[in-house]
Amino acid sequence: MPGLVRFEGDDFVQQAFARMQGTLYEDAPMADPANDFIRDYQTLAQQSWDAWTRQLQQQQAQPVANPFFTPPAAPASGNDTLERTLAGLKGYFDWMQGAAAGGAAAPPADWRQQVQQLFGGASQPFAQAFSGIDSAGAEGFARQWQSWWQAAQHGGFGDLPGTHGPAPAFGLNREQQMQQQAMSAAVLASLQASARYQALIQRANTQGMERLQGKLAQHAEPGRQIDSLKALYDLWVDSAEEAYAEIALSDEFREAYGEMVNTQMHVRQLQQQQTEQMCQQLGVPTRSEVSSLGERLQALRREFRASQTSAPEDHADEIMALRRELAALKRQLASAPVVAASTAKPAAAAKKTHASAAGKIVSKSPAAAPRKSAAASKSRNSSSKRK
Amino acid sequence: MHTPLRIDPSKALGDIATFQRKLAAGMGHLRSMREPEYANTPRELVYSEDKLQVWHFKGTGRPTSKTPLLIVYALVNTVWMTDLQADRSMVRNLLEQGEDVYLIDWGYPDGADRWLTLDDYINGYLDRCVDVVRKRHGLDAINLLGICQGGAFSLCYTALHADKVKNLITMVTPVDFHTPDNMLSHWCRNMDVDLFVDTMGNIPAGLMNYVYLTLKPVRLNQQKYIGMVDILDNPAELENFLRMERWIFDSPDQAGEAFRQFIKDFYQGNKLVKGTLEIGGKPVDLGLVTHPVLNIFAEQDHLVPPDASRAMGRHVGTTDYTQLAFKGGHIGIYVSGRAQREVPPAIHQWLRARD
Repeated sequence: MPGLVRFEGDDFVQQAFARMQGTLYEDAPMADPANDFIRDYQTLAQQSWDAWTRQLQQQQAQPVANPFFTPPAAPASGNDTLERTLAGLKGYFDWMQGAAAGGAAAPPADWRQQVQQLFGGASQPFAQAFSGIDSAGAEGFARQWQSWWQAAQHGGFGDLPGTHGPAPAFGLNREQQMQQQAMSAAVLASLQASARYQALIQRANTQGMERLQGKLAQHAEPGRQIDSLKALYDLWVDSAEEAYAEIALSDEFREAYGEMVNTQMHVRQLQQQQTEQMCQQLGVPTRSEVSSLGERLQALRREFRASQTSAPEDHADEIMALRRELAALKRQLASAPVVAASTAKPAAAAKKTHASAAGKIVSKSPAAAPRKSAAASKSRNSSSKRK
Repeated sequence: MHTPLRIDPSKALGDIATFQRKLAAGMGHLRSMREPEYANTPRELVYSEDKLQVWHFKGTGRPTSKTPLLIVYALVNTVWMTDLQADRSMVRNLLEQGEDVYLIDWGYPDGADRWLTLDDYINGYLDRCVDVVRKRHGLDAINLLGICQGGAFSLCYTALHADKVKNLITMVTPVDFHTPDNMLSHWCRNMDVDLFVDTMGNIPAGLMNYVYLTLKPVRLNQQKYIGMVDILDNPAELENFLRMERWIFDSPDQAGEAFRQFIKDFYQGNKLVKGTLEIGGKPVDLGLVTHPVLNIFAEQDHLVPPDASRAMGRHVGTTDYTQLAFKGGHIGIYVSGRAQREVPPAIHQWLRARD
């Protein structure tokens, strides 16, 4: 109930402030009021959060869609929003709690170490922000291959062939053994690729922290200091995103990303093959068969459409060729006199350019900017803002 | 020596308490919120085929422009970004300027659409939509406004069907897919797209959204929702927020074959600017785009970097090329207050000069 959360929290906060102020300003000789306060606060705050979360979850029953392996959900609803909202807010809430308990507000002996503690602990918000979207995929993937693994073991395969490397297969079940080996190898490769990807994500987190320290160092002077948890969080977000973007645009990330996707798809492909074999034995139509029918149907639709068009194909090609020739001639004609013109009057192009409050507007006109002319290209790029 | 952190203990605790209080108080608003509606500007269905629909929008007055404008949206996300809410509707704004606006809603592909190719979309669906609008107005050529991927489609279409297009407008349209800041392109460069599509079939919308979220994981998955806490007590702002959430995540799947070709030829091969692109076996020569072109892009676009759009000017054959840089992001260019004031009027003025 919202009321429960609100009232308990309010009462608690009042009590907490009273105790905190006693600690800070009266210097009362109590056993350890600050620690008591933090402990009490964390307990109650967690209870409040849990209560709030339960209320939100009452409205939604579906987990976040697994992007790689779950069929897409029906068009999104408010429930999906709530799920994402919860994931994001929980990370922030945990971090604020940890920051308060960890002494973000206390004058530190070494602020760099303090920052490390604030953003490097178990509740560090980067991991939570990322896991809010990433773990759904990873979990789904792991869950699916684990289910397959268990099913295979229950099916009498025992310790799966190929788990410890490729082994020769023979006999009546040779093909199945080979398939299981291929699957084991594929799963292993996929897990390794995911680990490589996760390591890069973790590196982005670490580098984000380093950037944050660099940014904070610029706030050391009085008057520029960070005076709220939210301001500290926002600065960290800037740092984390910058570091992530740099890594995400690296060649190493590109390779890791491609490898992760490709290995996951390979596992899925092998799973589908096994499923299809089973379906064939049971006389159940398969996805491949439906897909083949769809492909043929679409090809027929195209042929039918083509047969309905009035202009023969060779005429269309001829018209296209003539059009291309005409365009080339136009460009040729347009470019010839302009080189001289733009050489003689370099300011001419600037007359054609303007900008508005909406942003920069750059124009090229036949006279100012012929295509594929160095001189024209230069004049086309010159611009000025329209007042 | 000074420390950069000067956080008052009581203020820190107060911030946490406030955060919790706002969450608790906001619960009532969240629970009472219904699914926010889009602007739903009055419109008439003028053509449908498979899952595609062409809408003709109705303004309060008669259009003053002689040539109708057909909006070609991307296959990802839904077309309703152009008509999001009453006071943030590009469509409504264009109508008020005097434009006669049509819009293609591609619909939600399912397994039956798995084999639709770019040829089917561009030389098939889009061409027939253009023909419908041309026929309704008795015109040889109409104006096209392509958005994002729809801009790339419109560009290809104009090159392939030059006589059916009078003026071409593109918004946040990628042309050069290999600019160094294009994260999406970077990520898919090492992907085995054939394996991907052969395995997935149609590409689920949830997967697409996942990829978009990971472009800026902390901002889009956490910081945004922390900001939402501050508006939980403001029903109007909360409704706007949830409407945007609806649009972001209410996305169609991608037809497998079209996705395969788009990734291979555009993102990986960058064939549009290399001049090696073929759609339906016909070469796409941007030099044949000799029509007036207005290219609008967003300066803070993290999905389509500005340089990816700017490249258009170097490759189209037209000598009447105008480029407009908007100060905003990929979405803000349609729905921000600044966009309402600046973008539709700029489009209308540009068209009016060429009507």
